Amino acid sequence: MYAALLSNRYLTSRVIPLIAVGAVALCVALVIIVVSVMSGFLDMLKASGRTLIGDVIVSSGIGGIPHYDEWLTDLRALPEVEEATPVIDTLGLLRMPYPSGPSKEIAPVQVWAIEPASFARVTAYGDKVWWRPPADEDARNAMLPDDPRLLMDESILRDGLTLSQGATGKPGIVMGMHVSVGNARQSDGSYRPRFGWFMPGEEVTLTVVPVSESGKISEPRDATFPIVNEVFSGVYDVDKSRVFIPLAQAQQLLRLDAAPLYDTTAEPDAEGNLPLLGTTPARVTKVLIRAKPGIDALVARDAVEASWDAFVAKAARRSDRLGRPPERVSILTWEQQLRDLIGPVEKEREMMRILFSIIYIVCAGLILSIFWSIVIEKTRDIGILRSVGASRLGILWIFLRYGLAIGVVGSLAGVGIAWVVVDNINLIHEAIGRDAPRAAWITTCALAAISLAMALRSLLWRGRLLPGLLWTIATVTLAVVTLALIGHRGTLIWDPSVYYFSRIPSQVDWFNAAITVGGGIVFSVIGAAIPAAKAADVDPVEALRYG
Amino acid sequence: MGDAAPILAAHDVHRTYRFGQVEVPVLRGASIAIGRGEWVAILGQSGSGKSTLMHLLGGLDRPDAGRGTIEFEGRTVNLGAGRSLDRYRNRDVGFVFQFYHLLPELSVLENACLPGLVGGWFGHARAAAARRRAGELLEQAGLSHRLRHRPAELSGGERQRVAIARALVNGPRVLLADEPTGNLDATTGASILDLIAAQHAEGLTVAMVTHDASVAARAQRVVQLRDGQVVDG
Ligand SMILES: Nc1ncnc2c1ncn2[C@@H]1O[C@H](COP(=O)(O)OP(=O)(O)OP(=O)(O)O)[C@@H](O)[C@H]1O
Ligand SMILES: [Mg+2]
Repeated sequence: MYAALLSNRYLTSRVIPLIAVGAVALCVALVIIVVSVMSGFLDMLKASGRTLIGDVIVSSGIGGIPHYDEWLTDLRALPEVEEATPVIDTLGLLRMPYPSGPSKEIAPVQVWAIEPASFARVTAYGDKVWWRPPADEDARNAMLPDDPRLLMDESILRDGLTLSQGATGKPGIVMGMHVSVGNARQSDGSYRPRFGWFMPGEEVTLTVVPVSESGKISEPRDATFPIVNEVFSGVYDVDKSRVFIPLAQAQQLLRLDAAPLYDTTAEPDAEGNLPLLGTTPARVTKVLIRAKPGIDALVARDAVEASWDAFVAKAARRSDRLGRPPERVSILTWEQQLRDLIGPVEKEREMMRILFSIIYIVCAGLILSIFWSIVIEKTRDIGILRSVGASRLGILWIFLRYGLAIGVVGSLAGVGIAWVVVDNINLIHEAIGRDAPRAAWITTCALAAISLAMALRSLLWRGRLLPGLLWTIATVTLAVVTLALIGHRGTLIWDPSVYYFSRIPSQVDWFNAAITVGGGIVFSVIGAAIPAAKAADVDPVEALRYG
Repeated sequence: MGDAAPILAAHDVHRTYRFGQVEVPVLRGASIAIGRGEWVAILGQSGSGKSTLMHLLGGLDRPDAGRGTIEFEGRTVNLGAGRSLDRYRNRDVGFVFQFYHLLPELSVLENACLPGLVGGWFGHARAAAARRRAGELLEQAGLSHRLRHRPAELSGGERQRVAIARALVNGPRVLLADEPTGNLDATTGASILDLIAAQHAEGLTVAMVTHDASVAARAQRVVQLRDGQVVDG
């Protein structure tokens, strides 16, 4: 009863605890904002990392997976699997259509040979093909007037989706957005051709090195492809190096297609032909799988693994044909596959959280020192309370309650601040990116003038030092803000033409926010507990003696 | 002397203060018995230990370990746990100090209620009762128009009245007053004594420390504190 009465009175009758409330609020807000934005980026990273790989990724060694089409049929029949698509993954060199010095530029690339139709059903490939006409009026209005996509028609998109040049019927190549240097990223996250180097329509020559099943490296082979489109995944490493070509062309180039196998150890017959042993089957090096909606990637992974074991067993029983699938392949969920990409960012977020948690200790220390001086100031009052029968626990509770109130009010205010900031973070960011409006610095300048007048009034006329000092501090602060606003030339901290995400995530991570609020409250109470214990130890006689 | 069964008594109490190695014995076997409904004045030189004795009687302090007992209605109060002493201070005695000792953040009424709010977490009924009783006591003290004021807005005499109302709000049997008029002029002091006298007339037992012979004259019995012991005087 009296504890509530007194802690409320102490809270409302002085200004200093408000500073503690403010400090707790700012600490909590800071942690929530930082962690929310980082979590948002992490989610974006995961989403973009996932766009081009599906839910489960099966990768074999260099020998590839023979009879993969049979396994694809098995996979597609699984209740956990929505779709599966074969991929060949290899390295290559790409001779670009633009020069680098006297010769053409050569870019090292990671080649993914795909079956575009099923690949688009497993991954978000279809949505990520960049050059396409705007889908609707809204999309059209959202584009800047010089965006080349405004003038495009469906054919370029169709070519990208089918990996073939509609006009000539030639198989085409689709490159990651940053494979060529011809694409300049704009501040709205869209692209313009640099130096007029617009890739679609140009031709590139791709050189790859076939590796035999036994690991023997053959002569490099090359092929020329028209560039039919480009693709933007949102992961720089992918967009910098990935190119897509049709599976059939890659199998030929890499000698992974079906071919007759002759017995080279036997004598040639009369016409000089070696005896035919059979046909080596076509192979791929990867199979990407999309799980049925609602099926967890891990569950799908296990189903795929069981299916693989069955496929290997079944193939082993077939002595009538060549090509044994390897015993072991790597079967990973998308998250496991992206570990290298996601892991460091997750660690960074944890680091941030730990680093920022230090400010809780600052909060606790602040509350401790404020309360300590209140307890010393209130020693006599504590003695009085003890003299009318208040117990030590009762005294302890007054100050714990007081700390709890500061923690709760401060933390909730912090959540409020964080919510407003995170919700408007893109607006705030854009405002920082522009020059300060004239009205802003005129206002602060006027406020500075007013507080200067107040400072002079306090100091010279009324001879009061404390208000004079406070007004002087206000004047200096406002003057600095005014100068900063005048000097501010819009600098985008997060320039989308440099960074990869065109918007800053603006979702409060409520789970983390709840943890942060809990931390704020706990540390406030810890900060209050030490002075509270001191208060409980006050000896009433001593306290009253020096009253 | 008080009657056969005193309401409050100190038996052979010792209280020694320690400054590092040096021991200062303040009370050396002090005994006093205060009868039911009695008004006792305790006189003594400054530094003779009057306040020390009052603190022991009021359960704010304890005698040296094993050297003397304080008995209230035949019960030893200084032995039990801290809690029983808290209860004793809250219910059985009321304390009035020379320097009023009101809480500056609370209003007059809240200050007077304070002992009623202490003790018990769910004491709404008790709090309401305390509020009523504090209102009555403050009215008797002529302060009904000052209930919402802060102590800083009151005169010394008014503050001491509030302190007396606070001491009496839980209906204690004994009022312990340590120089209640020591800080007041003679007229104001007299009016405070009148207030105490009115309560005494209704059966309150009063033990009062004073320097002032005219104040002591209002008591029924006067004792002296000399050389750490209580002597009749
Ligand atoms: N906490 C303490 N530590 C050390 N000495 C103390 C303490 N409290 C009291 N004393 C000493 O005990 C002696 C008695 O003090 P007390 O306050 O009881 O005297 P008093 O009779 O009430 O005096 P006054 O009339 O001035 O109020 C004094 O010499 C004082 O210095
Ligand atoms: Mg004294």
